[in-house]
Amino acid sequence: MSLREYLRQRWRAMTWSWAPETELEASDAIVRNLWLHWFPNKVTLRSASWSYSLWLGTAAASLFVILLVTGMLLMFFYVPSVQTAYWSMKDIRFAVHFGFLLRNQHRWAAHLMVGVTFVHMARVFYTGAYRGARALNWLVGIVLLLTTLLLSFTGYLLPWDQLAYWAVTVGTNIAREAPLVGTTLRFLLLGGNEIGQATLLRFYVLHVFVLPAILLILFAYHMWRVRKDGGLAAAEPLRRSRRLTPTAPSPSKTYSIFGVRPGATLQTLATTHVEETDVAFSSPELTRRLTLVFLLVFNVTLLLSIMFDAPLEEAANPNLTPNPAKAPWYFLWLQELVASTTIRLGHVTISGGFIGGILIPGILLLLAAAWPFLDRSANSTEGVWWPRERLLQNLVFTAVAVAIVALIIVSLYFRGPSWGFYWPWQAWPPSPATL
Amino acid sequence: MDEGRRGVLRILGKGSVAAAFLMQLAAAARAFVPNVLYEPLRRFKLRKPGDYPQGVTFDADHRLFVVRQDDDFHVISAVCTHLGCTVQWKLDRKTFDCPCHGSRFQADGTNVSGPAPRPLSCFAVAASPDGYLEVNTAEEVARDFRFVATKGRA
Repeated sequence: MSLREYLRQRWRAMTWSWAPETELEASDAIVRNLWLHWFPNKVTLRSASWSYSLWLGTAAASLFVILLVTGMLLMFFYVPSVQTAYWSMKDIRFAVHFGFLLRNQHRWAAHLMVGVTFVHMARVFYTGAYRGARALNWLVGIVLLLTTLLLSFTGYLLPWDQLAYWAVTVGTNIAREAPLVGTTLRFLLLGGNEIGQATLLRFYVLHVFVLPAILLILFAYHMWRVRKDGGLAAAEPLRRSRRLTPTAPSPSKTYSIFGVRPGATLQTLATTHVEETDVAFSSPELTRRLTLVFLLVFNVTLLLSIMFDAPLEEAANPNLTPNPAKAPWYFLWLQELVASTTIRLGHVTISGGFIGGILIPGILLLLAAAWPFLDRSANSTEGVWWPRERLLQNLVFTAVAVAIVALIIVSLYFRGPSWGFYWPWQAWPPSPATL
Repeated sequence: MDEGRRGVLRILGKGSVAAAFLMQLAAAARAFVPNVLYEPLRRFKLRKPGDYPQGVTFDADHRLFVVRQDDDFHVISAVCTHLGCTVQWKLDRKTFDCPCHGSRFQADGTNVSGPAPRPLSCFAVAASPDGYLEVNTAEEVARDFRFVATKGRA
């Protein structure tokens, strides 16, 4: 017996009271384990493959875990007060050992989470994985994306530097353009008429508790629904190709908080058998890949944090707007829209803050939410990348995504003082002292 | 026992507990509407009229411009009507330019280009009893409003 085999047996003897001897027992072992029971006992190889899902959802979840841990650590050093917030940021940057690394990693993970969540949404769209029973989970996903954006926005104010102050000024004034409730909404968000101590504290509590709690609950529901909807849509072509008849509902029990309810579970009714060769145990096939994705994501954020510092401008100054004042990149497309969509019809003027900040993103959001119910393509398009039948739909989605990215690039690299158009190589005019 | 009476009592009992629960939720929500605002006063004194040079002077503390033409004074808000950035006076063009989204206003506050939907606000100006300019930002006035400082005070 090799040393390796010996150690393995010793380890087994220490951590397991029993070893599975059959396939059934092996499945059972997964279901009975505290950590492993989160996973199905078996997964189709196609849904665990790298090329189908690109593991983007797992990457987003990994980023959230990194954000939770680094954010919790930053809370030990950050003071949410108008007088000290900025100086505690300086301390984290210069006086705390590896404080810069914690903050950089928090910031990079946050930026990446916005991007990865959107790309995950694109993947789900391109593979038609929002269809049928999965429509509900698509809606949950949209709310998760919005929560991610709100988390980014509330976190943006906390450094209390010029960037933070003016990005939130613009953002909350967009909220004021919402019809009827706008002014009240802004007043409650700010805790007053102006951005001040009440605003900082409200954004802080939203950022460190309320929104992460909402995200965690929704994330848990998102994952539960993936399981109950029959796993990833990747399994659908497989189920169709095997042409097996649905299993007869087998008697089973559902555990609810009110006790055991006899009957048949959703899953036994909905799924058909796939062949043994199509599936593998989730431990280790799923857990191994999960660990790899987490480590990869962690190291990417770490590398970025070592190479690029998170910016910290001068302390917030309500009397001096930096020129140009730019929002974070994921809101820049909105800033480009609010800057150019004010409409004048005779005496009636509709502010770009409403059209570009509320109306256009609102329509895009409603369209995304309604899409699963408008999509009339055949079931065979489910779980397949860019099927011919959904070519037009995929092109529409791509067009919107490209437009958003183009607006972001324009406002990031082509906008100078007073939101004028400048080529990236063109020098900005020296801003004359006007005050 | 009288079922009707028992039913009414049951509804009253359960209903009052549920109502108390809902009221507490409403009370908790009400706490988030501030009753006291520790914000700068809306009505405040500036300098004495004679201390202002001719033309446009920016007051950074109050985010407004004091405009003096001879002995006529008026006060224009420096808060852009688009999304609330602070506009800057461009002496060479005689315009107020907003750095955030490129709105531009004429010297009298009229919006001429960019996304701003309204002219800049003008605020009421008066003299305080001890001879200072006094501004009330809660009171907006027409664009042709002028405060004439008497020679003695100016």
